[in-house]
Amino acid sequence: MAFVLAAALLAAIAVMRAWRRWKRRRIEEREEGWRRAMQEATDDPAAGTLAPIASLDLPEFLLLWNRVQESRGGAAADNLAQLLRRHGLDQRALGLLRHGSLRRRLIAMTTVGLLRDERAWATLESIAGQGGTVVSFAAARAMIQIEPRRALDALSASIVQRDDWSIARLGCIFAELGPAIVTPTLTTMLISRPRAGLDRVVKLAKFGERGRVAPIVRGWLSASDDPDVIMAALDYVEDERELPWAKSAASHAEWRVRMAAARALGRIGSASELATLLELLRDPIWWVRYHAAQALTRLHGMTPEELQLIRDNARDHFAADMLAHALALMPIRRVRL
Amino acid sequence: MKTIASGLAWFFILYFVLESLGHLALNFLAIPALRRKIALRPVDDVPAVYSGLEPPVSLLVPAHDEEKAIVASVGALLQLEYPEFEVVVVNDGSTDGTLAVLQEAFELEPFPEALWRRLPTREVRTVFQSRKHPNLRVVDKEHGGRADSLNVGINASRYPLFCAMDVDSILQRDSLRRVVEPFLDDPHTIASGGTVRIANGCTVTDGHLAAVALPQSRLALLQIVEYLRALLFVRLGWAALNAVLVIPSAFGVFRKDAVVEVGGYRADTIGEDMELVVRLHRVLRARGTRYSVHFVPDPICWTQAPESSRALMVQRVRWQRGLAQSLHGNRAIFTMKGGGAERWLAVPFFLLFECYGPLFEVAGYVLMTAMWLLGLIPGATFAAFLALVFSLGFLLSVSALYLEEMSFRLYPRASQMALLVLVALVENLGYRQLMAVFRLGGLARWVRDIRIRFHPRA
Repeated sequence: MAFVLAAALLAAIAVMRAWRRWKRRRIEEREEGWRRAMQEATDDPAAGTLAPIASLDLPEFLLLWNRVQESRGGAAADNLAQLLRRHGLDQRALGLLRHGSLRRRLIAMTTVGLLRDERAWATLESIAGQGGTVVSFAAARAMIQIEPRRALDALSASIVQRDDWSIARLGCIFAELGPAIVTPTLTTMLISRPRAGLDRVVKLAKFGERGRVAPIVRGWLSASDDPDVIMAALDYVEDERELPWAKSAASHAEWRVRMAAARALGRIGSASELATLLELLRDPIWWVRYHAAQALTRLHGMTPEELQLIRDNARDHFAADMLAHALALMPIRRVRL
Repeated sequence: MKTIASGLAWFFILYFVLESLGHLALNFLAIPALRRKIALRPVDDVPAVYSGLEPPVSLLVPAHDEEKAIVASVGALLQLEYPEFEVVVVNDGSTDGTLAVLQEAFELEPFPEALWRRLPTREVRTVFQSRKHPNLRVVDKEHGGRADSLNVGINASRYPLFCAMDVDSILQRDSLRRVVEPFLDDPHTIASGGTVRIANGCTVTDGHLAAVALPQSRLALLQIVEYLRALLFVRLGWAALNAVLVIPSAFGVFRKDAVVEVGGYRADTIGEDMELVVRLHRVLRARGTRYSVHFVPDPICWTQAPESSRALMVQRVRWQRGLAQSLHGNRAIFTMKGGGAERWLAVPFFLLFECYGPLFEVAGYVLMTAMWLLGLIPGATFAAFLALVFSLGFLLSVSALYLEEMSFRLYPRASQMALLVLVALVENLGYRQLMAVFRLGGLARWVRDIRIRFHPRA
């Protein structure tokens, strides 16, 4: 029995190999013609003729078209889109999106996104709302390509709440769209100050127009007791008028707030904040001491010689060690922590 | 007597059948994950774009007497494609020139590091900072073993994720990005392990894998099929159940907070990597914390397999001791409330078939032969036993080759596949039995360790 099963698996391996080889040859034979048509269409919207594409070859063709299209921009991209429409392949991509296998649907999602095909909107919206992590994210991406502002508004709840939508990947999309497009959605999200997913919104806020985003976040300093909210706000503090807030946060019970306060004081403070930072340098939490030492090295008007003197006279050896560390780090780098 | 022999024969037959069926079931469990992986390739293969919001990673490289390999290895790590990472080499009291070659190659200078000693470790002598590479530090410490070095690395690391590595791990430029991906997609991820493939016979350029090929060494060739059968697809099967118990020492990323919370690596174990993962399961389950451990099946880490039977024996003895220590050191997992597949399936499976497996396997081969020679069991029963062991072993290896063909196809030439099928056939005629003996040696060493612990000589 086991030998029979093993033989069946070996046969399956042979069949898989044969099928794959046959398919590769078939695609290789057709790919040259596809590339030629795409090249011709790039320069002239009326040029480029494609032989009829069988259903079997359609995903491979669209995959190639997606890659070529993603590497082009402006008129060339419009012309390539025209090539697809002329041959009715946009319609077939829509068909794949609705009825294809997972792989085919993913390919079709990229295609309809690149084509900015509004007819796909309802299907994409449905997938973005119900699909698994990768599929729903791919659908969201396509929606954003089709109509960015409308998509961001439609997806804002998911952007905030779906923690399986990686913030790093969302950041790529936000960076690509640019501050002008993402800022309205970001400000709406920030004003609503969601209880769940606030940290996500704050991280994404860096892709918005700082002049519009920062005042909203800073406004939280006076309006909230939530440590997460205060931390986020402290990271946006950039004006010495907000120094009292930062100084009062330096004695907060939550260490993460004290750490954010140290960072803020380093950014906007001057020698008059020395006492607060020296206090933070003796904090029981390593990260607070670390950021306090970093802040001291950044304080406006402080020289390395003065810092060295503080270090030499420090009675707390944890503080002295941390300051020595920060001083040594000064010429080497600044790390993000 | 014959009744007892007959009962024993049935026991061994049943044991081998259950073990093979268990592994086959895990292979089948891996199929949906592999199918999904294949389907997602159109979005997975697009060039990486970074937003700056990716979690930064500290690569921890423990090194003990690695004078010959360390510079090339660190040089390759510094070329990895990832937005933000640091390399922390921990020189574990090397007696050769490991530190000297590092100092020369990377222009190290002493650095007044304010170490956060969250985990107890052996004495740290000096921390060095590279003048050439701002993201490279070397920590020189007293010899304390790999686990102690990793704990030092954790103390010295500055980022929320750390990657535990071996000096001889060969990575691809995108390896770090791929192994970190589970942390992006699943916020509950606490660990993610990369697949380890055998590098013997492959071409390595500038410390990175350039071309895949099969090795000349027969022993390494046998290990290729064994890795596919026992390490790759079986682990993917466990991953489908969120019951991965082993993150390879060669390449695994962990969430630092979670590891520090459970006390870091245990310096008194041999298999510190497995022990840590089992402990993470045990502690986090007991606390009711939601977490997941992922396994990345893509071929992203390569390592040199032993090419001599002695080196192979040393490796397998070490693995088996580590496995036994990890499972028995965390036996509280059996008595805790609740628990998922890792408690109800993975740990019992590992205990029965991986930990005590060699005992039953070697006893099976020896006793069945002896009983047949003594006429206690019929020749037909003995023949059936051998046929079963051989055919099920072959079926398991072929199913692993099938999954490899379905997914990664690292060996695309027909001659390569034919050779691997031949190896799948041949490995049942001595190699598997030899591995069982080596593993039994490891189990015996573990028992001796316990006896020494409980009855130390005056």
